[in-house]
Amino acid sequence: MKSGQAEIVETSKGIQKRGLMSRRVAIFEFLLRIIAFFNTISSAILMATTNETLPFFTQFIRFHADYNDLPALTFFVVANAIVSGYLILSLPLAFVHIIKNKTENSRILLIVLDVAMVGLLASGASAAAAIVYLAHNGNNNTNWFAVCQQFNSFCERISGSLIGSFIAVFLLILLICLSAIALSRRR
Amino acid sequence: MKNESTIIDVPAETSSAMKGKAPLIGMAKDHTTSASGGYKRGLSIFDFLLRLAAIIAASVAAGTMFTSDETLPFFTQFLQFEAGYDDLPTYQFFVIAMSMVSGYLVLSLPISVVTIVRPLATAPRLLLLVLDTAALAFNMAAASSAAAISYLAHNGNQNTNWLPICQQFGDFCLKSSGAVVSSFVAVVFFTILVVLSGVALKRH
Repeated sequence: MKSGQAEIVETSKGIQKRGLMSRRVAIFEFLLRIIAFFNTISSAILMATTNETLPFFTQFIRFHADYNDLPALTFFVVANAIVSGYLILSLPLAFVHIIKNKTENSRILLIVLDVAMVGLLASGASAAAAIVYLAHNGNNNTNWFAVCQQFNSFCERISGSLIGSFIAVFLLILLICLSAIALSRRR
Repeated sequence: MKNESTIIDVPAETSSAMKGKAPLIGMAKDHTTSASGGYKRGLSIFDFLLRLAAIIAASVAAGTMFTSDETLPFFTQFLQFEAGYDDLPTYQFFVIAMSMVSGYLVLSLPISVVTIVRPLATAPRLLLLVLDTAALAFNMAAASSAAAISYLAHNGNQNTNWLPICQQFGDFCLKSSGAVVSSFVAVVFFTILVVLSGVALKRH
């Protein structure tokens, strides 16, 4: 026989307020995921569709530039594609968080996956940024020539596609923090 | 919206059976038992140890890159005969970033101690999680940009006519690659730290 239980009395208004706040935060997280998805997919597409062929023939330098020519840029495209695929697949889970109340285990799963994706995305974005910096400025000490002086539109494209990726990194970090805050709040 | 309400069970026994026995009115379920605090304290101790290991990894990375200078004994006509981390801006960023990361880790040790002493407080853990995530991204950025440059130094690039400099500067390349590897080890530690903080934040 149950010896009796007493639970803390909560006013219904208190629960309503807290539930509304966490619902708003969950909707905000859902929107952030969608924005991050658009950022990563556009970065991937922008980088993958780089293709510039110079109209003239130069003796020593190649006259065709592609993202395939630089392994760091290839890694960038792959990383962005993987992260955008993950973000789309995590949208249903984020939607469930809006509806359900007890979401602790799935939030921990999302934090783990988000951390992995932040690592991957930051890695791809920084490697591409290092190569883009080199392409713009070259390096006197190692005799690495600045490629951008020949390939203008190629350089503009690869520089622009970095922006979306870095914004997505920031959004993913924000998502991790929001998940953690939601996890630590008293239900 | 569901209302939480008090449930009081009154034992429905006969009065003769209840003689001398006071009915148990309430026994609130204690959500802050020492059991929950115990395992969280264990997680905090593990977190502290991981932080120490990450400090070592990050400072080794910064130090190795910083001292990776190499001067060739002979004179080459076209190529420079001296290589150091400050010849490549990416490596400069790497040294600065790894120093900042190890400085942050040292400063976060007291907060980690606070989570050991008070395992049920969420504010220090939340702070650590947020800062660790930012430091993870920063560390990963430094490590992977230096890795891209290291790859280029080892292999060069045919399409852009970038020559691999490692064929001249063997020691410099070895040391800088070692620093990059150590930095990636620190990234792994950071990942585990963030996941640990997330699991420890969970309220039962």
